[in-house]
Amino acid sequence: MAMPGQATPGEVSFKLVIVGDGGTGKTTFVKRHLTGEFEKKYEPTMGVEVHPLDFFTNCGRLRFYCWDTAGQEKFGGLRDGYYIHGQCAIIMFDVTARLTYKNVPTWHRDLCRVCENIPIVLCGNKVDVKNRQVKAKQVTFHRKKNLQYYEISAKSNYNFEKPFLYLARKLAGDANLHFVETPALAPPEVHIDLAAQQLNEQEMNNAAAQPLPDDEDDAFD
Amino acid sequence: MDDFEKAIFFSFNPTVDANLKAQATAFVQQAKQSPTIIQACVEKLRYSQYAEVQFWCLQALEEIVKQRYSSLASQQRHLIRSSLLAAVCFYDRDASSAPAAPPFIRNKLAQVVVLLLCIEYPSQWPGAFVELISFLSKGPMVVDMFCRILIALDEEVISLEFQRSPAELALATRIKDAMRQQCIGQIAAAWYNLVAVYRSARPDLAALVLEAMQRYVSWIDIGLVANESFIPLMLEILVSPQENRGLRGAAADCLLAVVSKRMDSSAKLALLRQLRLGPVCARLTSTEDGEFGSKLSALLTGFAAEILECGKERDTGEMLDEILPSVFYFMQHGDEDISSTTFLFLSNFVKSATGKQATHLRHILELIRYRMRYSADMKDALDVFDREGEEEEERMDEYRKELLVLFRSVYRVAPEVTTSFVKGVLVSILGSSGTPFEEVEAGITLLYCLGEGVPESSLKADTGDLPEMLGAILTMTVPGTSHRAVAIVFLETVIRYVKFVQHHEAYVPAVLGVFLDGRGIHHPNPNVSSKASYLFSRLVRTLRLQLLPYVDSILQSLQDTLCISAKKSSPEEKFYTFEAVGFLIGAEDLPRDKQEKYLSAVLLPLYQLVESTLASKVSYADGNQAATVALLQQIVLAINHFSKGFGEQLLVNSRPELGNTFKQSVDVVLRILLAYPRVDALRSKVISFLHRMVDILGSSVFPILPTAIRQLLLQSESKDLVEFIQLLNQLINKFKSAMNTIIQEIFPSVVDRVFFLLPKGSIPENVVSNTEEMRELQELQKAFFNFLHAVTSNDLSSVLRFQTGGRLNEIILLLLDSSCGHKDILVRKICVQVLSRLAWDWCGNSTVVEQVPGFHRFVIDRFAADCCIRSILQASFNLNDANTVSLLNEIASAQKTLYERCGEDFLIQMATKVLPAVRCPPNMAEEYCLHIQRSDPKVLKTFYRNFAEKLRFQYNSGNQ
Repeated sequence: MAMPGQATPGEVSFKLVIVGDGGTGKTTFVKRHLTGEFEKKYEPTMGVEVHPLDFFTNCGRLRFYCWDTAGQEKFGGLRDGYYIHGQCAIIMFDVTARLTYKNVPTWHRDLCRVCENIPIVLCGNKVDVKNRQVKAKQVTFHRKKNLQYYEISAKSNYNFEKPFLYLARKLAGDANLHFVETPALAPPEVHIDLAAQQLNEQEMNNAAAQPLPDDEDDAFD
Repeated sequence: MDDFEKAIFFSFNPTVDANLKAQATAFVQQAKQSPTIIQACVEKLRYSQYAEVQFWCLQALEEIVKQRYSSLASQQRHLIRSSLLAAVCFYDRDASSAPAAPPFIRNKLAQVVVLLLCIEYPSQWPGAFVELISFLSKGPMVVDMFCRILIALDEEVISLEFQRSPAELALATRIKDAMRQQCIGQIAAAWYNLVAVYRSARPDLAALVLEAMQRYVSWIDIGLVANESFIPLMLEILVSPQENRGLRGAAADCLLAVVSKRMDSSAKLALLRQLRLGPVCARLTSTEDGEFGSKLSALLTGFAAEILECGKERDTGEMLDEILPSVFYFMQHGDEDISSTTFLFLSNFVKSATGKQATHLRHILELIRYRMRYSADMKDALDVFDREGEEEEERMDEYRKELLVLFRSVYRVAPEVTTSFVKGVLVSILGSSGTPFEEVEAGITLLYCLGEGVPESSLKADTGDLPEMLGAILTMTVPGTSHRAVAIVFLETVIRYVKFVQHHEAYVPAVLGVFLDGRGIHHPNPNVSSKASYLFSRLVRTLRLQLLPYVDSILQSLQDTLCISAKKSSPEEKFYTFEAVGFLIGAEDLPRDKQEKYLSAVLLPLYQLVESTLASKVSYADGNQAATVALLQQIVLAINHFSKGFGEQLLVNSRPELGNTFKQSVDVVLRILLAYPRVDALRSKVISFLHRMVDILGSSVFPILPTAIRQLLLQSESKDLVEFIQLLNQLINKFKSAMNTIIQEIFPSVVDRVFFLLPKGSIPENVVSNTEEMRELQELQKAFFNFLHAVTSNDLSSVLRFQTGGRLNEIILLLLDSSCGHKDILVRKICVQVLSRLAWDWCGNSTVVEQVPGFHRFVIDRFAADCCIRSILQASFNLNDANTVSLLNEIASAQKTLYERCGEDFLIQMATKVLPAVRCPPNMAEEYCLHIQRSDPKVLKTFYRNFAEKLRFQYNSGNQ
């Protein structure tokens, strides 16, 4: 008996499990890729939804069956049962809500219990929001566990492709694999002005750099 | 497959027909409630051929153990335990005939066994681990399960990596204590035997044993693993090239856990000496890469870090010298993951380095330089900055972050060594025009980093390494600046050291050359030229005075970039050229006639462009509106940036004729707004423009405000409204009661819009509300409160009085609710200030007539009771929080105001109704009244804080 989300003949496809606390933007994220418009309202995912996401690489088409799982226990359904046969995963947290980052180890553990040794990307979502609670340099979990980390903003499409590209390269075992066309994404809801962001950062750095920095300024966290 | 199994399959399958799925889900949910569910699960677990079914059964058992194990009959509990143990032993099936269960079933089984252990070990099931050990002889499958159970125990219960409640921490302690007392020795002995037995036949299994063991080292007696039998075994595995890589990696992890174990330094040193990893690793480093390489490097640097730590108390220099070459080897490693593992140690090493170690430090600097270079293959991609180039730069930035932290550490310990090192690098770069781009880029980047900690005194100096280097890069030809990456870091570096030029004016022409010729703003690469515009604006801010003699030639050189055309839109960074020019022209030291000439030369063409664009509006088809709007937007943006260099003092007081030229821009921009009233992006730019003009032109913009405001009000989205309200707030605070007429006019529309957009009741606050939309509404609400605050504190409260249709009531109730319970304490404070001010303006007493009928009663009955007393009794009202204390002070002052306006009515209400209702004893109430009547504000605040604490105590003790 075939499980859903597994390859039909002749198609290169992978089951991707996406987990993380409720409200971190998992559903929003996967829906960016579809024709469906970006949901401003939050609808807790009921159990699981599967979205087929296609990407076109220099080695041909690649399909990720994204299993968007429930973040909230009460809608849990089969909970970790949905991870079975997962071939890669995204763990999502919300940089504006510290607790969602603190729960990342638990998501990772529950995922790895069912899917041993699969490539995993950690995504910090909502980086477009001004007052973040989890700063980039506070994110260290991925180093301990050899995960890839990306900052993303589902609303602005910022770094949307990055997690998929990383997973595709890992799964194909080809570090030079690349996407040959940009997938159709929902139009960005907000614009991250990267140039402005860099300028801001730079100005802050410059301001900080003017006086002799304090001894502990750049110490490792 | 029976129905039960089918139902499980369907419920797992998200693509199955919705009806069928609902039926299947209902069926399995119902099955969970059945009294025979345990029996059914243990049977299916044993006999079903489908892993999904087995998994579901384990999930069901997991739920039962978690939720109602203690309420089960002992027979059933026994059934669960014995069935799980039987499963752990794979029902004593012959391992060669039975197919292995997939890992996710084994892990799930281990998890459920651990849940059982949490409940039963040690009190009801003291022999748990001994029993498990006794099964080990049954073969590799059982060994595998044994390891998985130990790993699950660590992850589910013991490891501190997860969020744990106090109860969970207590549970972990209970289990660890019992294990230490009872069986850990036997477990450790089992580890040793299993590794020895399986290392050749099943290295994967031996590695799993080591993985489990590694997790326990931190809390068990170290002698159990750091002993004469274990250490040699692990070292032997580590160094044998013929051994399995995974197993060697696991041995490295274990050894790392052993060396990292906390113990006193003499014991630690003895352990480190016993291990002698230095010589061991020196033999290994030649060919290791991949995951094993990382692990080996982590072990080595962990070991070195421990030596360093011990070195704080005794001399370990010799041991360090022995291990450092291996660390350097790994740092230089081409695999970034491997090289990164050394940084933390090296950084600590550098911090504690002494003069004697200068050679090591120089070596580290050279390695940093070596590792931070781009690959020569990436030259073109980084220059055109395509996708590949961007990716490469991002990757390098990430990696360099850590490298440069190390560089800074070296600089702090040994500034001279570092500076002379960088000088050596520069000399070699500048020495040949053919230096490859990656060498130049890395070298200049080091000079850039060096500037971070440089004290200003070194920039004043005329001689020394640093002045020589800076003079050289400004006057000599830096090779490769046609390359994007080199050009950008070169410009950044010049700006970082701009103070040097300030102190050495002779270099001003050179630095201008850098920015104005093909290396800067006129660089053929657009990435460079726009960056240069921004950096030039920073240059001008610092060197404003030094640049004045050159204004003519600067403007001439920038003429081409100060043009805005419909043909090409410019990146926002480009507009910094306008800002730079603004700062030059805005300098008061410039002669009046020149200033006038320059100002007109920049602004008048922009005005004309608006005229001509608006005039030709009719000729544009609809499709062209976007282009027109984009052009107009750029013009407004340019004026905004340009205006930053000017101040009110100059434009209004000392040279009003310049102000007049600027004032024309207000009319011009207003015409844009009239022509395109409903274009969001444009409106937002116009709002920023008005903010700017109010700042620089002061009251002379006042006459045009009503028209502008009316135009801007034609909008509805909450984000726009926030911007608009912020503008109003600036205007009210600037022009105060002069705004009366216009505010009077627009107030009802603003309020209508705000109430239309804000949800009824309070804005929900939970995870679900953590969306952009909710945040926008919160912003809007806050802006609205600030607006009310601006209105009331600038003698404009009369505009509120004339609200019709119950609007006033709505506003006041919103203020009251928020003053008592808004999540944001600062918002509460604003609301208290507004209400207090309204009470002052509107309440009547014997000498003043009440302005708003009923308001007197309202403030006494509601505001005084709900906000001043009840809200401070809330559990969330935290008197240890500075913001809350400042809110409390505001509430105290508000009561003084209430007393002054409402007099005895207020005190009587408090003393006879409000305070008794919250269990305030009569003597406290009396004291309260006295203070309100007599104390000055400062004393009252101190009193009120004590009063609040006592009242909270009284109230809460009465509640128990």
